[in-house]
Amino acid sequence: MEVWRVVDELVCTRRVPEMGSASLRILKGQKGDISVATDPVGAPPGKWVFTAAGTAARMAMPDRTVATDLAICGIIDGWEEEA
Amino acid sequence: MKIMRVRTTLVSTNRIDAMGHRPLLVVQETPNGPRSVAVDAVGCIPGDWVICVGSSAARDAAGAKDYPSDLTIVGIIDHWNPEAS
Repeated sequence: MEVWRVVDELVCTRRVPEMGSASLRILKGQKGDISVATDPVGAPPGKWVFTAAGTAARMAMPDRTVATDLAICGIIDGWEEEA
Repeated sequence: MKIMRVRTTLVSTNRIDAMGHRPLLVVQETPNGPRSVAVDAVGCIPGDWVICVGSSAARDAAGAKDYPSDLTIVGIIDHWNPEAS
């Protein structure tokens, strides 16, 4: 699982029905890469989180039929960024 | 499978129910490389060299086919010399 920082919420009203009403977050990785993840936890911007990718992302959602390949699994209590 | 080294334990109080109370560890493939989070299915400590599985094997190894893990520690390496490889 990868470690990310939540940058912001992402609003996307027009979407495929397969995505349901899952809330979305913009995440920034340790190398500065940006990705979008579904968020079953409710992580606020600024928090460090870890995610499951691939099929495991669907398992992380309350509804496993949601079409996602990256889902937040939990908020990390303490994380120190390395230089 | 990948050979990785355990750095520290990871505390995450606010996590999804599907993850249960499985221990999570911060692992690293190279000393200065990016840090990943792995589910610990064996019980290892910081400093251990371990083997990790990914994709659907990670879900099986974590205990259930529907467990939301994409990286699970499946074994502790008895002797490992990182310089030799």
